[in-house]
Amino acid sequence: MESGPESRMKNANKILTADESETPADSAGAALAPALEARSLTKRYEEVEAVVGLDLRVGPSEIYCLLGPNGAGKTTTIHLFLGFLEPTSGSAHVMGLDVAEEPLKSKTHLAYVPEQVMLYRNLSGLENLAYFAALGGKESLSTGRLTEILGEAGLEADAVHSRVSAYSKGMRQKVGIAIAIAKEADALLLDEPTSGLDPEASNEFSELLEQLKDRGVAVLMATHDLFRAKETGTRVGIMRHGRLVAEMTTDEIGHADLERIYLEHMHE
Amino acid sequence: MQTKTTKTILLNEWRLLAADRTLRIVLPLFVVLFAYALANGMAWVRFQEHTVQVVRDGNVQRTDALERDLTAIENGGQPSSPFRDPRSANVMGGPRGARSVALDPGPLTALAVGQSDLLPYYYDVSIYTNESTFLQNGEVENPLNLMVGRFDLAFVAVYLLPLLVLAMSFNVLSGEREQGTLALTLSQPVSARRFVTVKLAFRALLVMAAAVGVSLAGILISGGFGSSGPLGRVLLWCAALTVYALFWFSLTAWINSLGRSSSWNATVLVGAWLVLVVVLPAAINIAAGLLHPLPSRVEMITAQREASNDAVNRRSELLARYLEDHPELAGGGDADEPNRAALAWAATDAVNRRLEAVSERHRMGRDEQNDLVRRYRFLSPALLVQELLIDAAGTGDARFARFQSQVRAFAGQWQSFFVPAILAGEKMSADVLPTLPDFNFVDESLGDVGQRATVPLSALIILVGLVGVGAWVGLGRVRGAG
Repeated sequence: MESGPESRMKNANKILTADESETPADSAGAALAPALEARSLTKRYEEVEAVVGLDLRVGPSEIYCLLGPNGAGKTTTIHLFLGFLEPTSGSAHVMGLDVAEEPLKSKTHLAYVPEQVMLYRNLSGLENLAYFAALGGKESLSTGRLTEILGEAGLEADAVHSRVSAYSKGMRQKVGIAIAIAKEADALLLDEPTSGLDPEASNEFSELLEQLKDRGVAVLMATHDLFRAKETGTRVGIMRHGRLVAEMTTDEIGHADLERIYLEHMHE
Repeated sequence: MQTKTTKTILLNEWRLLAADRTLRIVLPLFVVLFAYALANGMAWVRFQEHTVQVVRDGNVQRTDALERDLTAIENGGQPSSPFRDPRSANVMGGPRGARSVALDPGPLTALAVGQSDLLPYYYDVSIYTNESTFLQNGEVENPLNLMVGRFDLAFVAVYLLPLLVLAMSFNVLSGEREQGTLALTLSQPVSARRFVTVKLAFRALLVMAAAVGVSLAGILISGGFGSSGPLGRVLLWCAALTVYALFWFSLTAWINSLGRSSSWNATVLVGAWLVLVVVLPAAINIAAGLLHPLPSRVEMITAQREASNDAVNRRSELLARYLEDHPELAGGGDADEPNRAALAWAATDAVNRRLEAVSERHRMGRDEQNDLVRRYRFLSPALLVQELLIDAAGTGDARFARFQSQVRAFAGQWQSFFVPAILAGEKMSADVLPTLPDFNFVDESLGDVGQRATVPLSALIILVGLVGVGAWVGLGRVRGAG
C-alpha cells in the first residue's frame, strides 16, 4: 500500500465515476456505520441530469464538504437527503433509513440549515427555536435550556427575546444552528451556510461545526468556500454536472492543492 | 408524536396570530359585521312580529265591531247602509268581516330573513279571496333590499364568510414558502399535508367560533330557543355553516397545494368566489327567468278587470250557470229572482275562474323556474348553503308555500261557510260569530325540514369531499419548499 504525501495527492486527484468510485469503507471518516449514505443516487429533470449515480457516505464525527459550481448538484443532493425531492433512481439513507420510504422517520435524525435561514419574523429567536425544536420532537425543552442553546450557538443574550425581523443573516444562521443543536440530530445538512456571512461570523460558524462534530454529528455541507472546506471539513467532494468527480480527505492536501484540483476539474 | 406535532403547530399558529396585525384587524371586523347583520335580522323580526300583532288585533276589532252592530240591530237599531249590514252573509264573509291570517316569524328569522320580505306573511281572507290575493304583497319594501337581499347573518355567511376564509388562508402554504420558513418546517418530521391541515383547522376553528358564536348569541337574544323545535334547526344552521366554510378551506388547501405564488392563489380564489357565489347564482336565476318567463302582474290585473267587467254585465246569466253547476246550493235561491248578494257572488266566482287560468300559468312558470334552479344549484355551493340556511331559519320557500296552501284551504272553508247563506239569502246573527271557521297554521315539523335539507346538505358535503380529495392528493405531492 502506498503512503506519504505523493500518494495522498494522487488519491485526492483521482476522478471518480459512478462505476469506479472508491467504496465508502475506504474513506477515512466512513469507517463507522454511515449516518448519511447515497447509493447510486440519481435525479433527472426531463433533459437535465441534476445528480447522477452519486455514491456517498458520511459517518459520525465527519464533516463532508461538497464543492462545485452553481448547478453542480450540491443542493439537489441535500434536498434528496431531506426528502424534498424524489430520486429518479438510487436511494438516499439517513441512519440506515431509506428517505423515500420513511421520509418522516428519517427526518427525526436530520437537522438542516439552509443558505438563508428564514424564521417567523414576528416571533423572537427563542420562540422560533421553541417551535422548530418542538416540531423536531424536543417539545419538553425548558425556556432556560432553549436560551442556553441559543447562547451555545453564539446568539447574544439580549437578542434572544427580540423579534427575528431585527436579526442579521448571521444571527438567523445561529438560530438555525441552535435548532440543530436542540434537536440533537445525528446528521446535519448545510446548504452554503456561510454564504453572505462576514469572516468573523463564518469563523464562529466553523467553530460551531467543530463542536457538533465532536459530539458525533455527521455533517454534509454544500459550499463554494474552498478555504472553509479545507479548514473545517474532514473530507471534500467535488461535484460537476451532477457527478462526484473527486473526493479527498482534507488532511491529505493543502489549501493550494485543493484550489488547484478544484480548478482543474472546473476547466475540464 | 403526531398529536404532539399537531399541538406544536396549533400553539405556533396562536403565537403567529397574536403577533399578526392583519388578522387582528380582519377577525374583529368580521365579528362587527356579524353583529351588524344580526341586529338587522332582529330588526326585521321585531317588524314582522309587530305587523302580525297588528293584523291579529284587526281581527279582534272587526269581530267586536260586527258583534256590536249585530247586537244593536237585534235591539232595534238600523245598519248604516245595506252594504254594511252585518246580517248579510256577503258582508260578514266579505272585507268587513274578513279574517286576517298571519305567519309568525320562523324560529331563526333573526339569522336569516330569507323570503320573509319577499313573500306575504299575512292575508285578509274573505269570500272574495282569489288567486290574485296570493300574488300580491301588501308591504312596501325597499327594492334594493329585495334585489340583493337583506344584510343578515345568512347574507354574511353566504357572501362574506368565504372572503374571510380566503383572507385568512389564501397563503397558508405559499406564504410559508415565500417567507422561507417552509424549508425549515419540512426538514422536521412533519408532512406538508399535516402542516397545512393543522394550520387550516386552527383558522377554521376561529372562523367557526366567530360565525357560530354570533349565531347562537342571536338565537339566544331573539328568543329563538323558546320556540318549538329550534335545536334541530340550530344544528342544521351550524352544520350548513360549517360545511360551507370547510368547502372554502378545502379549496384554499387545494389551490395552495399547486405550488404557485400567494398572489396567484389570491387571484384564483377570489375568481372562484366571484364565479361560485356571484356569477353562477345570478346566471342560473337569469336563465330561469329567460327560459320560463312568468306572466306579468299587469296581465293578471288586466285579466281581473276584464273578467270583472264581463261578469258584471252577465251577472244573472252567471248566477244561473253557477246554480246549475252547484245544484246543492240552489235550494234557497231563485235564479229568476236573485238577490243582490247572490248576483255579486256569481260575478266573483266567474272572475275567480278566469283568474285561475292566469294563475295556473303563473304557477307553472314559477315551478319550472324553481325546477331549473333546483337542478343547477349543485353547481354553486352558495346556492346550496343559502337554501339550507333559510330553510333552517324557517324563512324558506317551503314554509311560505305551506302557509299559502293552508290559507288557500282556509279561504275555501270560509267561502263554503258563507256562499250557501248568500245564495239562500240567509240572515246572520251574533250567534254565528263563534262558529266561524278559524285559521290555525300547522307549522312544518323538524322532520320536514330535515328531509328537505338532506339533498343540499349531502351535495355540499360531496363537494367538500371532492375538493378535499384534490387538496389531500395535492398536498401529498408537496415534499419540499421548492
